[in-house]
Amino acid sequence: MREVIKTEKLSKWYGNILGLSDVTLSIESGITGLLGPNGAGKSTFLKLLTGQLKASIGTVRIEGEKVRNNHRLFSKIGFCPEGDSFYEEMTGWEFVTGLLKLHNCSSSEINSKAQKALSIVNLEKNKDRRIKTYSRGMRQRLKFAQAISHEPEILILDEPLNGMDPLGRRKLIRLIKTFRDEGKTIIVSSHVLPEIEVMTNNIILIHQGKIFAQGDIHYIRDLIDAHPHMISVKCSDPRKVASRFVNQDYILNIDFSGEEDTFVVKTNNRDKFFNRLPSIFIDENIEVSEIKSPDDNLQAVFDYLIGD
Amino acid sequence: MNGKSQTKDWTFLSSFGNVFSFFFLLGRKSKKTKVFYLLSFIPVVMALLVKFGQIFSIRSTLSGIYVFSNIIMTFYLQFIILILALFFGTSVCSEELEGRTLPYLSTRPISKTSFILGKYAAYTLLIVLMTVVGVFLCFFILNFNQLGDLSLYKILFRDTAVLVLGLICYTSFFTFIGTFIKRSIMFGLIFSFGWENVIQYFPGSTQRFAIVHYLKSLLPTPSSGRFSFLLFRLEPTPPYLAVIMLFLITAVFLGLACFMFHYKEYILEE
Repeated sequence: MREVIKTEKLSKWYGNILGLSDVTLSIESGITGLLGPNGAGKSTFLKLLTGQLKASIGTVRIEGEKVRNNHRLFSKIGFCPEGDSFYEEMTGWEFVTGLLKLHNCSSSEINSKAQKALSIVNLEKNKDRRIKTYSRGMRQRLKFAQAISHEPEILILDEPLNGMDPLGRRKLIRLIKTFRDEGKTIIVSSHVLPEIEVMTNNIILIHQGKIFAQGDIHYIRDLIDAHPHMISVKCSDPRKVASRFVNQDYILNIDFSGEEDTFVVKTNNRDKFFNRLPSIFIDENIEVSEIKSPDDNLQAVFDYLIGD
Repeated sequence: MNGKSQTKDWTFLSSFGNVFSFFFLLGRKSKKTKVFYLLSFIPVVMALLVKFGQIFSIRSTLSGIYVFSNIIMTFYLQFIILILALFFGTSVCSEELEGRTLPYLSTRPISKTSFILGKYAAYTLLIVLMTVVGVFLCFFILNFNQLGDLSLYKILFRDTAVLVLGLICYTSFFTFIGTFIKRSIMFGLIFSFGWENVIQYFPGSTQRFAIVHYLKSLLPTPSSGRFSFLLFRLEPTPPYLAVIMLFLITAVFLGLACFMFHYKEYILEE
């Protein structure tokens, strides 16, 4: 795999507020997941990569070239911004073809590429409707269509799965994987770990403007798995189920203070807990209503990892 | 070397053309254009009222071309073109920031210069069309019984050319203002109805700091009439110099707008 993007000591301040601090990394072709809670600096990093922001310190290079004010480089880059902003009065077709025109494509190329991009995201039937009449999911797909329409080698996607329905998400994830198979470089940001996990093993963890970890997702998973997890189980006989876990070394705490039919377990080994749970339900003939992790979010994980 | 620079020019021109067509289409569809198109018809309504007054009043002595010239001077030159240039010029940059659509443009292989110039040209053409339609309608309404008099058309084309020059020049100024001032509309209103209205009446060379001075220098000074006070103390610049100055002002402000847009960092508010 070849190095496509390289940053050195990249930092960004907004006045006195730190947006990004001392980021040195290189990104190779394939999918790289940029993972972090809201406000971690993901969008700042992506805006610096696409030259929308000026670095306070440090450099960004894509294929060896500086990015900011280097407009020619953008024929190779597709960017899907996070914000839900459009030229609302335009139709989906006018939006995609209009932006394709800015790539100096010929009329026939514009038509065929726009057609292809809109059909990839399943918007060809709604292409002549004004954008202001689109649903949230359709707007998200349109944003993606404009990013891929000129067939870029590098795709930078800022929270592309936000606001999409589960089916749409699955399709988009499959599509992103197709681009990876074609040898493209894709950077996807998200604050939802499972979203990234299904796309790639290669992730960058970002928190409070700093790169917290970079590399294989299994390493991150190991760190996360060591984090004590809260699991809430709602069932017909919570005390009976909980009693079967009492002497297990991976159970740190069992709490019944919530709802009558619910208990909350704190464990440092989720996998062991979940391996055992189904057999207990079957053995004891217990009816299960709900299993959820109240703190299964990145913020909790990051707080744990950095020792907050 | 020559070939390389020719390719560069072609790319710039085609980018400019593509930006122009994108924003001309967008401009035509926008609500703002529809609202201002209606606004630009206020003088047409005035012309209709005056004409009806003339038809039904026995004592009317004002000629159609006289009323037309006064409509140009009071409504178009000192109000309509300023408002149109202000709202369309400042929005060249600010609507991308306020609408948060700038990332779609700043991540395309087009130079920032071609973006500013292309969008400026698209919006200027839109407001020129809005103005010209209104001016022509006013002319035909007020002079419909004298349409065979060819000398009147000379006045029509001269006045229209002055208004078009005004739109070109003011829009460039407001495009520049929009690239670096957040509340550019407020600043523009103060400039349009404060500075431009006051400075033009200052004696000596001070009045040359107003764009309207050069526009009025291209129009004849009425010898009498109820609106002649608006030209009070005008010390006109020779017409050829006034035209040069208007183009120079346009070029300077467009250059500054491109420079500002190229180097300034725009942080979109979350």
